[in-house]
Amino acid sequence: MGELGRIHQLIVPFFGYDLTFNVEAIVMTWIAIIFLLIFGMLAARKKSVIPGPLQVVGELIVGNLFQLTEDTLDKELAKKYGPLICALFLFLVACNWLGIIPFLEEPTKDINTPLALGLLGFFIAHYSGIRTKGLKTYLKHYLEPFFIMLPLNIVSELANVVSISFRLFGNIMGGAIIILVVSYLSYSLVLPPFLNAFFGLFVGTIQAFVFTMLTTVYISLQVK
Amino acid sequence: MAIDIQTWVNVSAFSGAGIAMGLGAIGAAVAEGNTAASANYAVSRNPSASGEIFKSMLVGQAIAESAAIFALVVAMVLMFSPFPSDSLLWVFVMLAAGISMGFGAIGAAIGSGFPAAAACEGMARQPEMSGPLATNMLIGSAVCQTPAIFALVTSFILMFKDYTGLPLAPTWAAILGAGISTGLSTIGSGVGGGLIARESCLGMARQPLTATTLTNTMLLGQAVTQTPAIYGLLISFMLIFSSSPETAALTPAMALLGAGICMGLGASGPALGIGITGQSAVKAISRNLTAASDITRVMLIGMAVSESTGIYAMVISLCLIFVV
Repeated sequence: MGELGRIHQLIVPFFGYDLTFNVEAIVMTWIAIIFLLIFGMLAARKKSVIPGPLQVVGELIVGNLFQLTEDTLDKELAKKYGPLICALFLFLVACNWLGIIPFLEEPTKDINTPLALGLLGFFIAHYSGIRTKGLKTYLKHYLEPFFIMLPLNIVSELANVVSISFRLFGNIMGGAIIILVVSYLSYSLVLPPFLNAFFGLFVGTIQAFVFTMLTTVYISLQVK
Repeated sequence: MAIDIQTWVNVSAFSGAGIAMGLGAIGAAVAEGNTAASANYAVSRNPSASGEIFKSMLVGQAIAESAAIFALVVAMVLMFSPFPSDSLLWVFVMLAAGISMGFGAIGAAIGSGFPAAAACEGMARQPEMSGPLATNMLIGSAVCQTPAIFALVTSFILMFKDYTGLPLAPTWAAILGAGISTGLSTIGSGVGGGLIARESCLGMARQPLTATTLTNTMLLGQAVTQTPAIYGLLISFMLIFSSSPETAALTPAMALLGAGICMGLGASGPALGIGITGQSAVKAISRNLTAASDITRVMLIGMAVSESTGIYAMVISLCLIFVV
């Protein structure tokens, strides 16, 4: 139980500042990326009209995610943002599922990963908002319904980033804690596989889906 | 009779375990009864679907119970783990962990009973939709559990943080405030999320063609419903990880405790309000699919407005933590 909440950090001095790296999160993120790259290469290696098994899986995933983006945005915008949404969902699923492999940990268990992804969605949404509506209309939105609401509107926009990232972090962290504690109490007999299936596969997929959907909705609220 | 620190820590660990499990049992029991009640009604309405209804009742009850199981785990750890007894801080840590998990389990459990009950009724009404209904119920109930998981995370971070070198004087209030903030703020989110999931199960049974849209709207609504609980979690983290200088004065301690209480109480109302908004939006979509995108827009804006009171509570809590 001692390893609960312990983070391995690498601290590098850099011109008088201390740069802190969370080694585990970085390594695990790269493992997730490498998994995805290998899957992508294998799925797209032999493209044919009669697809192989991996190509079918890949086409299913990409097709469904594009459909979902089209439902939330529209056909034109989906072409632009679809790849981003697909990449986000696949990366999150790969990250959340990593924890069910022994000795590997979810990079999303470290608050920095969800926060970075949340900020990514925030900046993309607001940048596209300024691009499509123009700076004046974009800024005017903050003075609605009255100009007194300005600080409140800004806070509620920032609160979106916090809520989207802490939701993912809390769920993955909570699942990891429950698995660790129950395994410790039950001496790793019988229960852990079911818990891994529930928290790792089921909750992990749902939270990845919720995160992706919310990012899409935030973008659609800005561009429409 | 002199009582040493070890005794005090034991006293509070056992009381904390009692609070966690006692309060944690409330919601799950209510939710399971609610599910079973709906299952009875559903079987009387359509006896030929009784097999499916019985199965979904059992699965729904099992998910609703998981919040109580989190409380059980916390209570067990409080009772059986050897905690250090070098400081009186541990007394408050144990109590706060119990309060956080106990209150945190109530809302999530009650909420996840709603979709299970609605799925049973829906199966009686539209047996063809049993499969999609079961999936929707599972997703809805699982997302409802999120607030309970936040409470669990707070409890465990409280119990396993390293408190050496922290002054007793304002830190005890911060710890207690952190437990109260997460514990109370999750109640509304759990119930509100359940209301939305309930309506989406009922809507799917009423109009099977809307199934995909209903699931997406439900997820979106539940996600916004949980935002106040996330504010509560955030305030807890700030209270746990910000260190205050040692003082004998009571004012800083009370400010920290007040921040926790403010966020905890302030978050339950907005979450319930957002839940009711989402519930009616899902119902509206199930009746008129063509207006879905307009309804979603109105729903999101309405939710943002009713969330603003939660944001006021967060601003006051932040002021109490960092300014006072």
